[in-house]
Amino acid sequence: MSDLNEEDIRSALDMVLERRNADTRLTTMGAGSDDLDAGRRYLASTVTQGWHVPAWPSEHGGRNASVSQNALIGRVLREFIVPDLYPFAIGLGMVGPALLAHGTQSQQNEWLRSIASGASIWCQMFSEPEAGSDLANVALQAKQDGEEWILEGQKTWTSRAMWADWAICLARTDPGQPKHKGLTMFALPMSLPGVQIRPLMQMNRDAHFSEVFVDDAHLKDEWRVGEVGEGWRVAMTVLAHERAGGGSRGGGDGGAKGRRIPSWISDLRLSDNDQSTVTSDAIMSLYSHDSVSRWTAQRAADEARSSGAPGPAGSGAKLRTVQSYKGRSYLTNRVSGAHGMLEEGHGYIEVMTAPSMSIRGGTDEIQRNILGERVLGLPGEPRLDREVPWKDSRRGLI
Amino acid sequence: MSDASEVDTLITDTADRLFSQLCDHESIQKAEADGQASDIWSAFADTGFPWISISEESGGSGGTLLDALEVLRLVGYHAAPIPAAETGILGGWLMSSAGLELPSGIVTVLPNGSQGLAVERTGDRLTISGRGLRVPWARVAETIVVPLEIDGQTFAAAIDSSECQISRMTNMAGEPRDTVDFENVDVFAAVLPSEINLETFRFRGALSRTALMAGAIEKMSQLTVSYTNDRVQFGRPVAKFQAVQQHLVWGAQDAALARMAAESAGREANRGPALFEIAAAKLIANQASARATKACHQAHGAMGMTQEYPLHHLSRRLWSWRKEYGGDAEWSSWLGRVAVAQDADGLYPLITGGSAVLS
Ligand SMILES: Cc1cc2nc3c(=O)[nH]c(=O)nc-3n(C[C@H](O)[C@H](O)[C@H](O)COP(=O)(O)OP(=O)(O)OC[C@H]3O[C@@H](n4cnc5c(N)ncnc54)[C@H](O)[C@@H]3O)c2cc1C
Repeated sequence: MSDLNEEDIRSALDMVLERRNADTRLTTMGAGSDDLDAGRRYLASTVTQGWHVPAWPSEHGGRNASVSQNALIGRVLREFIVPDLYPFAIGLGMVGPALLAHGTQSQQNEWLRSIASGASIWCQMFSEPEAGSDLANVALQAKQDGEEWILEGQKTWTSRAMWADWAICLARTDPGQPKHKGLTMFALPMSLPGVQIRPLMQMNRDAHFSEVFVDDAHLKDEWRVGEVGEGWRVAMTVLAHERAGGGSRGGGDGGAKGRRIPSWISDLRLSDNDQSTVTSDAIMSLYSHDSVSRWTAQRAADEARSSGAPGPAGSGAKLRTVQSYKGRSYLTNRVSGAHGMLEEGHGYIEVMTAPSMSIRGGTDEIQRNILGERVLGLPGEPRLDREVPWKDSRRGLI
Repeated sequence: MSDASEVDTLITDTADRLFSQLCDHESIQKAEADGQASDIWSAFADTGFPWISISEESGGSGGTLLDALEVLRLVGYHAAPIPAAETGILGGWLMSSAGLELPSGIVTVLPNGSQGLAVERTGDRLTISGRGLRVPWARVAETIVVPLEIDGQTFAAAIDSSECQISRMTNMAGEPRDTVDFENVDVFAAVLPSEINLETFRFRGALSRTALMAGAIEKMSQLTVSYTNDRVQFGRPVAKFQAVQQHLVWGAQDAALARMAAESAGREANRGPALFEIAAAKLIANQASARATKACHQAHGAMGMTQEYPLHHLSRRLWSWRKEYGGDAEWSSWLGRVAVAQDADGLYPLITGGSAVLS
């Protein structure tokens, strides 16, 4: 497909989508919203021409777009109403790219298009009670039994589990290997007998993440993603795409052509107390930070797409994006005065959600460790359990 | 009680024990769902705690303001879901100061005084109409007190809650902050002594929140130290990571800072007007809350984001209380104005001497 110019893209998108106007507002990260239909409609209407995931092959719901074409489409898309794609973000932003990198041809044929069209929702079953930041400590077991794998164990904090058709699930296949080596990645149908979901209520009153209990679930070997024992490598691809924000295209603010003031600023309800240079200063420094964050995230995402193997840039992007979100939610709530104390107040959901931004997708501390070690080349943290068989290291402390 | 500048530890030990028994995670969750905690309140009220610092002649329990503030600190520490400040050092204080008889039930106050109300005076009667916003626990109060100023004189109007329309609203912590509508409510205008006016009432409100916040930050800090010592990742308790230790230090520093500020403001207020100390203490508590909630949530990871784990009882209260009786902007500008009004040589004496220099 030869590259389209900006006008071509705009008029093609005009056929399927509506332009944003100054009143368009979007929810953040699914907080407070359970709307699956808007995202489904949007994805279904853009998939034929591959507008949402342009870099994917056209047979899988993309349009084989080059890096620069992909970036241009992304920019023009921001002029249109793109609903909150939170429910679909794992498939679009993380599993899709990981399947393109590690999946077999038949896996790609089977799953990619239904991700791009919104027909199937994926969730990410990585974290466990004993495996948070220390993800390689995953204990959920997969034992081979002829052509099948039998899974046994527990995941936790699984966002979107209750909507999901499939999960990308990290499991331990060889407890005799050191912890990073005995892992294998699977695609797990959420409707499989033996899979049980228990929603957890969050502080912001969402119940978007769950515990998932897996008891004697039988998986086909064709659902294994990547080689046996290569689970960590696949997990790193998934996580790097998560950090680079590949899943977050759409949503967000700004964009509408000709609009200079982002809605978070025009929505600030300044009280008399806040019509001060102190507040202007806070708004402007946040605005600058916000713009740089957006460019950093864009650069990290483009880099991830072009190399297929995203690097530590995504960690930098994640840190900045999170800072922006938290800064905006804090400022919005601060200037709303005493009224902002109420559940009905402006920015309630954002205040309640903000702390989680520095935790989900790898904590700020872990992102900084990655940057320190991989970008600056600082000495790594002592990792005493690296060469110890997982089954011997996992109990007692080191 | 021998020395009025010392806290009576018998009182505070008893309160601490009472809250330790009654305010567990489940009861606080339940109070939030129900919009009240009548059993916790009854146990608290049965021992006379709400009326500490109000003299026995006025129907209170005696004791000093310091004792009352120490009990409030414990209310914050245990996230006790009860209107202790409203019934005692705010509403009860206004009523007893105006010579009104204290009711046996819960008292609350309109935090913004008569703002939003139309008040007419005829002799010693007032007719009140209008709407009071974000009124703590109005739905369970027996009496709603409105502090108001007419012709340079300050009054307390104590209104029977059955004469008002109450619509339920809640703050971020799920505590009642109701909307109260008055329609031609006729009430006795009780005159307050000259040292009490709308400004001193606002400072008193800020003082109450400062004590609550100091307690909540302290508990949050302790909870975080204990969680991070138990939580193992990478083969060791996460408290062993320097990055986590930094969060723990922020939590502990801010707990100490807020408590010190609250206590010195309390001591000063126990002696007389303490405008400078209270303004500074509320601002310090506000800022300490912001830093400490951030650090403590971060150190907890995903666990701290769930309803099943108690961190949110404290963090959500702190985010709410931070906005009550003056947010950062209000107290910063007040302190800024006062500091600027001193000449350069007056600044240091203001910092060391506080309100004594101002009067
Ligand atoms: C809203 C939300 C949604 C989520 N959705 C999903 C999901 O869909 N799927 C999924 O698999 N997971 C999900 N998670 C889990 C998330 O990935 C983990 O919470 C995260 O990796 C941190 O793990 P933890 O919560 O166990 O914290 P811990 O690892 O226990 O960390 C506690 C504290 O210790 C610090 N720490 C740990 N190790 C180090 C170190 N080496 N150096 C310095 N500091 C360290 C952490 O930074 C943190 O401050 C979600 C979490 C949240 C909050």
